[in-house]
Amino acid sequence: MMGRKENKYDPLLKERWAKVRKKHFFPELPDPSISESMDRVALEIKSKQITLSQSFMEEAARHIPMEKVIEALLDHGVAHYTFCPWDFHTHLTLYQEAKKVLKDKQMAQKSTDYFMDVVADTHCFKEKDTPISDLYRHMDRGILDEAIHALYQRIWGKDLNVKGHEEISRRLSRIPYLDRKPWPESIHRFSKIIQGLLESEEKSGTLNQPNTMGQNDFGRYSCQEMDQGLKEFAMSTGDPGEFKDVVKDLEDELKEAGYASHGNMGLGPGSPLDADALFYMKLAENYALPIKKTPIEKSGSLYPFSHSPWELGKPFRDIDPWTSFGKVMPGITQIWERREGETFGEEEGTPNCIVVIDSSGSMINPRQHLSYAVLGAACASDAYLRNDATVAVYNFSHARSGDRQILDYTRQRTKIYQTICHYFGGGTKLDIRDIESLQQPSRPDIFIITDMQITNLEDLIGYINGLENRVTAVHIGDNTHVRRFKRSMGIRKNISIHSVQKKEDIPRIVLGKIREYFRSVS
Amino acid sequence: MINPFEDFKEYPYKKKEIPLDHIVRAKERVMDQIVEGYVKLVEEEVKDLVWLVENSRVFKAYSSALRTIQQVDYDSDDIEELCLEIDKGGRIPYLISGPAGIYLSALCNNAKEERIHLRLHEFKRTFHFLGYRLPEGKTLVLEGDVGDFIGAGLSGGKLIVKGSTGNWAGAGMMNGELFINEHTGQNTGGWMSGGEIHIDGRIRGIAKTILGGRIYQRGKLILPHDMTARE
Repeated sequence: MMGRKENKYDPLLKERWAKVRKKHFFPELPDPSISESMDRVALEIKSKQITLSQSFMEEAARHIPMEKVIEALLDHGVAHYTFCPWDFHTHLTLYQEAKKVLKDKQMAQKSTDYFMDVVADTHCFKEKDTPISDLYRHMDRGILDEAIHALYQRIWGKDLNVKGHEEISRRLSRIPYLDRKPWPESIHRFSKIIQGLLESEEKSGTLNQPNTMGQNDFGRYSCQEMDQGLKEFAMSTGDPGEFKDVVKDLEDELKEAGYASHGNMGLGPGSPLDADALFYMKLAENYALPIKKTPIEKSGSLYPFSHSPWELGKPFRDIDPWTSFGKVMPGITQIWERREGETFGEEEGTPNCIVVIDSSGSMINPRQHLSYAVLGAACASDAYLRNDATVAVYNFSHARSGDRQILDYTRQRTKIYQTICHYFGGGTKLDIRDIESLQQPSRPDIFIITDMQITNLEDLIGYINGLENRVTAVHIGDNTHVRRFKRSMGIRKNISIHSVQKKEDIPRIVLGKIREYFRSVS
Repeated sequence: MINPFEDFKEYPYKKKEIPLDHIVRAKERVMDQIVEGYVKLVEEEVKDLVWLVENSRVFKAYSSALRTIQQVDYDSDDIEELCLEIDKGGRIPYLISGPAGIYLSALCNNAKEERIHLRLHEFKRTFHFLGYRLPEGKTLVLEGDVGDFIGAGLSGGKLIVKGSTGNWAGAGMMNGELFINEHTGQNTGGWMSGGEIHIDGRIRGIAKTILGGRIYQRGKLILPHDMTARE
């Protein structure tokens, strides 16, 4: 609570916080604070810090002692951390289920908020000694609050001074709120039951008003928590469409919560969120492939590697005048970032990788369905990036007629995944010169993923046969082209071929075979 | 020596029971009994491998369902939850839509409540035979589209369908009212001997054999024809 204006309730807050922390087994949360400007909701949680509204507290203190008001609000806030939603993944899952029923973002958000409130409050009421029921007994309520408090009355066995809502509270009371496992199903039923009330709120224009106890927005999660949550969510949905639906819905909230400014996550300031690329990026993170390194040693000499904005204090000698418009000005001027060169030697390192991906019409569109090819390419890229290597991508369909994307070596995940996810859906003809243009003297690894139904397959076979790079070829499905490719490559030691027939093959086979492959060459 | 658990000594070791625990437990118990009854009925019916819609066969299944549920203390919320379980298929090992509808009808006809409301619009499965033999004094409201033989053998009750029905709606109904606020399929009112069917939407086809009763479309009497002429 340092660095802000003292509040007259601070000593009381401090005393109650100690009690609440102990009651909830000392959760790792920062000290709460009181805001004099918040007036629409009882509390707010940002970056894990609970902020109580002074005006709400004073209003409630007309009926019950101030210490009870503070304790009840803190209990409510802490229970959201310790029980429901618990983490970002659970929050997203609950929202997704509510959206399936309500088909409207605002209604789904409100239903999710109320459901999480019911679970957290009921957990508190059952497991802890809390004055939450005293607080609720004297609160101003909207129609939905009334229905929820009628539910509390029924499931807590406490008189909260609510009349009516018999049918709705009876139906809501059958949901096993404290059982975590069926929460997705529970919120589905919960949303169905309160749908009528939400619709009448929408008609009366009160739907956009926050819940009295505060909105459970995404500002409470850190970027790391969001990262982890999205990774788990991608894994549990396993469907780019479903993932996209949720992420697109919450794009503004995610950006507002600071997720967008985290460059490594595939989102940049002002850039639209590419939910498809994000889906494969997060899904691939679930399958971390180990890479056995090849003998590489640092040459000791630095060479210009990439550009970055020049700032005051950085050396002038590294300024690149060609990309700086002849100006020396922070934000406009670019300098060269230097990296140590690598040569083959005794120390082990990871080579760079060229990912070659087929996005012709015979391949699945990764934006509509889960594409094994894209997932495989994403897993491979992720593995190389995690090992400090750079990745170049060649995405092709009918390359000669322009259906191709070439991404030069980079470590920018956003660009890599966006290029991998691009779908042309045309014919299948690659241009060997495109791959050749990405070759480096240090012999990068080549990862090619296709169904092998390439019209100029012979050119590819001929090219690969002449290579000394390590090539991992992954074919989707089985056909005569695959067999021909396999026959042609049978004797080559630097080429390993993997088959993918079903989803589970991707992480397992790529993982196993890469290891086997590296073992065979090292 | 300091006891490391000193801070927690005031915590009660016994779990506090709240009404939610009783409600959820009781509901689970009832659902288990209802699901068990359904499974028993289906097991009896599947012995013949093929389930044919014959009057005697349907009545036999209904009587068997009635016997099964006699001892179960359930309410309309339990019936709606069974619909959900049938739709999900998790707890129901096998689903034959005919017996499932008859079992649901038996539950509705014997429920404590006089008015039962089933919200079916979100379900993936289509429910047949709902409202079978609905007795006098009972009102059953079905929200969403339903399947075939809706309100078959209606026996004085009031059946309201807020959606469309399949074929053979009101087949063999003896008394009561069937309201369909959208469309019906073929053979509507087949073998009906009494009661009224009110349809607000399109009728794909009226059955050839109708023994009695009246059929109205958008408030206008369309069957029997002689009465239509007289009116």
